[in-house]
Amino acid sequence: MNAGRWLCMALLAASLGARADAAAQKVLDCMRANIPPSLQIKEVELVSIDRSGAERLLKGKVYVSRDNGLIRVMLSISKPRDLDGAAYLMREGMREGGVDKKDDIFLFLPALQRVRKISGGSADAPLLGTDFSYNDMKQLQAAFGDSQASLDKPTTIEQRPVHVLQLQPTAGAGTRYSRVRTYVDQKTCVALKAEFFEGNSLRKELSAPAAGLKRADGYWYLSDLLMRDVKENTSTRLKVLGVIGSTEELPSRLFNPATFYRGN
Amino acid sequence: MNTVAWLGSVAQHPRRVLLTVALATIIGLLLCIDPVTRTVRFHIDPSAEALLPVDDPGRAVLDQVRKTFGIDDPLIVAVRFEPSVYSAENLERIARLSVQFKQLPEVSEVFSLATVPNLLASGDEIDVTSFTDQAARDPAAVQTFAAQILANPLYRSTLVSDDGTTAAFALSTSAALTPQQYVALDFDGQVRRAVQEVGGADAVYLTGTLPVRAATSGALDRTLRFTVPAVFAVIAVLLLVTFRSPMAAASALLAVAIALIWTVASAVLLGIEFNLVSAIVPPLVITIGLSYTIHLLAAHFLSRSVLPDARDSQRADWVMKRIFTGLTLSATTTVIGFLSLLLNPLPAVRGFAVLASLGTLYVGALTHLFLPALLNATGCNRETPPIATRVFGRFAVLLTGFDLRWRRWIIGASALLIVVGFISASRIEGGADFINSFDEDTPVRQDFEAVAKAFNGANFVTVLIDGKEPDALTNPTLINAVDSFQDWLRAQPEVGAAVSFVDQLKLTNLVLHNNEPLYFGVPADAATVKQILLFASGEALNRVIDPQYRTAVISLRLNVDGSTAIGAFLRRAEARAAELPSPIDARFTGSAVLATRAVEALAGGHLASIAIAVVAIAALLSLMFTSIKAGLIATVPNIVPIAVYFGTLGALGIPLNPTTSLIACIVLGIAVNDTVHFLARFNAVAREQGTEAGAVRSALSSVLRPITLATVCLCLGFLVFAGSELNNQRQFGGLAAWTLFVAWIVDMTLTPALGSRLRIVTLWDLLRLDLGKSPQHTIPLLSGLSMRQARLFALMSRLEKHPAGTRIIQEGDLSRDIYVVVDGAVEATIERNDERLVLSTMSRGAVMGEAGYFGQRRTASVDTTSPVRLLRFNSQDLERLRERYPSIAATVFRNLNRIQAERIARMTALLR
Repeated sequence: MNAGRWLCMALLAASLGARADAAAQKVLDCMRANIPPSLQIKEVELVSIDRSGAERLLKGKVYVSRDNGLIRVMLSISKPRDLDGAAYLMREGMREGGVDKKDDIFLFLPALQRVRKISGGSADAPLLGTDFSYNDMKQLQAAFGDSQASLDKPTTIEQRPVHVLQLQPTAGAGTRYSRVRTYVDQKTCVALKAEFFEGNSLRKELSAPAAGLKRADGYWYLSDLLMRDVKENTSTRLKVLGVIGSTEELPSRLFNPATFYRGN
Repeated sequence: MNTVAWLGSVAQHPRRVLLTVALATIIGLLLCIDPVTRTVRFHIDPSAEALLPVDDPGRAVLDQVRKTFGIDDPLIVAVRFEPSVYSAENLERIARLSVQFKQLPEVSEVFSLATVPNLLASGDEIDVTSFTDQAARDPAAVQTFAAQILANPLYRSTLVSDDGTTAAFALSTSAALTPQQYVALDFDGQVRRAVQEVGGADAVYLTGTLPVRAATSGALDRTLRFTVPAVFAVIAVLLLVTFRSPMAAASALLAVAIALIWTVASAVLLGIEFNLVSAIVPPLVITIGLSYTIHLLAAHFLSRSVLPDARDSQRADWVMKRIFTGLTLSATTTVIGFLSLLLNPLPAVRGFAVLASLGTLYVGALTHLFLPALLNATGCNRETPPIATRVFGRFAVLLTGFDLRWRRWIIGASALLIVVGFISASRIEGGADFINSFDEDTPVRQDFEAVAKAFNGANFVTVLIDGKEPDALTNPTLINAVDSFQDWLRAQPEVGAAVSFVDQLKLTNLVLHNNEPLYFGVPADAATVKQILLFASGEALNRVIDPQYRTAVISLRLNVDGSTAIGAFLRRAEARAAELPSPIDARFTGSAVLATRAVEALAGGHLASIAIAVVAIAALLSLMFTSIKAGLIATVPNIVPIAVYFGTLGALGIPLNPTTSLIACIVLGIAVNDTVHFLARFNAVAREQGTEAGAVRSALSSVLRPITLATVCLCLGFLVFAGSELNNQRQFGGLAAWTLFVAWIVDMTLTPALGSRLRIVTLWDLLRLDLGKSPQHTIPLLSGLSMRQARLFALMSRLEKHPAGTRIIQEGDLSRDIYVVVDGAVEATIERNDERLVLSTMSRGAVMGEAGYFGQRRTASVDTTSPVRLLRFNSQDLERLRERYPSIAATVFRNLNRIQAERIARMTALLR
């Protein structure tokens, strides 16, 4: 198991609620097929580069699971040292009666020794100071619960044929983006590129070299992704350093708001 | 062939000259305007920061702030709602407006009640939604917003005015957005239309550096579009009326217009941008150019009456002889004056110096070469003579009488003016209005003042806090020091608001601790600080502290405007910043700061520049007149208008700013021109006629009309600036006209009063004078002198030419002139009993008339037997020589004694 798959899983799981035309749905189904059913634990590294070119490194573990089809993601930071133990828990909201329930986000800061539930607009806020936001993660994984999906004319990236998937959030979706365009590799059904638009302006761009496409246990994932904030001129590279392990057992405490920060 | 003769011959081949000039002008136009895009290749940057060097520390700090925090002075949109912002409907409108503003081109972020989080803690849950989201979710919550905002240091007096009627939207725009693009995008219109579309607003105000710069740029553009043609039109009418020659007027204007094109093309070629300082160059070139051309036109038309039957070539030669020295000298001194500004540390001033010098050289060259050729080519010789010549002639006579009669009083009054002017000038304060440059009823000023009133200030200043190393600003000790500094800033009367990451840190700490007031403060350890900052990280925080926690900014809003008030605040604040503990330091930046520093630097270096220019001009005039005394005397009339100008500034309380500081340079250039023209003319006439009074009258008659016309033209031209939208431009026009008028008065009174006792010898004269081969060896009176000394003596005397058969001395006359034969032959005769007896024949080197010098009647007559050149001098000339050049005088007196002694010895021998 690996982190790329975590991303795939996160996005595809949430795509269950997406309203798509038949062709687009077929692509989304193919992407969903990359989601493994069990818990994954991965070691990741996030290198953020600010406007002045200075770098900041975050290292940690990502725990991902599906619980009744809903994503559970927990991010536990190990480096830098003064952030060691900080943790983020994201629990995707259930779709009930055609309405998406809001996702839950919990934060644990070791200095405070308290868990705080964050409600409101944090889904678009940077995730621990990186260029990724929770919404970006979700949307990257095709988790467009409130989006209309459609297919554009296919194209190629690095000479690989890709589907061009247009995703348009519906009113009240609570995202800052007016649309997202993803380029899905036709062979692996993994998004190699995504463009996030604010109005008509490109705000962020995610790209992944095709060479970073890897396969574990029969599931495709990306081991190297770059998210670039075009307007702010910042970027964050996410690298999967390795898959620590996976298990069929679902340790509920990892995704329990009261205990998640304790980790493994 | 000498220069004058060459210039005269050039005028006789107009086609060649006209073709060359036309070609150069076409190239110049192509440099100025891109023929493909039809856009100009130069632009005017109205910002004061453009005056500062690229490597200026203030600019470097601003660049660092822009690069690190991606911020610039924001664009503030203030929307007033009735009765209050705090209603669910109006908050919903604010949310819609925020979305619309975000979609405007070049807008990266919008900070408003709809985009900033209103952190609310409830149990273990923290709500980070915005005010507008909270209002949409629970309209009853709106009632609590006013108190929440008042308690929030980040939003208090920032997002909503204290009276609750006006909501602010801070729009962050791309740093690449220029004032020109701002106008082209109709940014202002788009904002106002969005507000109108959303509805419910009572009023909307838009301000910030960008709209103010766009308005300044527009006003400058409109001023230039209006003033340049208007100045040309006014001057064209005046030239037409005075010279009664449409072709002559058009030719003069064309010469100036070409000089202007060449100057602008040079700016493009040299990469010199037009800023608040160099934007003065075009009117400067026009003024100096017209002054030169008027002198040439006056001489050109005068040649018709002086040489009615002469050929064109003779007239051209005569015109060149008449104006060459004055024009060349004045162009040289003006250029030297401008080039002295190269010592100024501001590149904008150096750019101005280069452009103004080039412009002066261009108009000088065109007046020498192009205009005479054009006048010849267009047949201006057939035109009717200019009007008012007689009037000016009569006035010159009266003026001469006045100047000579009241000489001492004029000199005394001028000295008094200098003293009073400089005393009054001591009250001048450096400073420039920023928004107050606009009229009170202009929208840009009204919007600025409305925003400043509602939010207690609209001038933004950024303080860059540098901790020198990563994570320095997570150290609680240093953060508390920054907090204390921020408190001090807030307590200053000029500061309307001060916001920094410390506010955000304290606020987040409070919320994370369930709003327990104890936690509204800086956490006690760095790890907690870092974790809280990481939790709060986002675009808002990234704009006040960098992700490395090494540098941060304090954003200030000042409720004062103008460089004087802002400069005073900065000096206090910098002194307080110096008390910050090591390793942190604080540096102030922002457009208002840079503008203030530029104004101060300009004003500070200006007086030194003027002093350098005056000294340089005095030195040059001394060199040109081959006498320090003459140089200093010629400089004095140029100091009086400068003293009066600065005295006027002091008396009227007008500050020295980038515009007013340049007027002295312009006046200096023009005044020197007029002084030199007078002195050159006076010198020439004095040498010809031998009497100073007559020379003053003649010189005044010669220069009064052109100088007066030029002054009238220039004053009217500058008064055209009264039509500008900007106060500083109107001030510039009025002050320049007033000072030029003073310069005219001085040149018509003080210059003749000072010059009437002055016999000057120009370097030109010295170089041009031909005394034949080795005069110091072949003319006994000049024995022992160097060639230069011999020429100086000759020029302090009068060099006369006479045809053959002219009587030089009449036997029995009482006259004190002594003659020395330079060329040709004369014979001395006496008449006795109707018989003419030739006593002697004399040639080069012979001295005659020395008996008359010692008070005796002429003992013989002297007639020329061939064309001769004679040096003629009298006791006054020798006395002047003794005063100015004592060593030359001593040698001449010795030689004269020797000649007398030899003559007596010869006569004694004859008697024996």
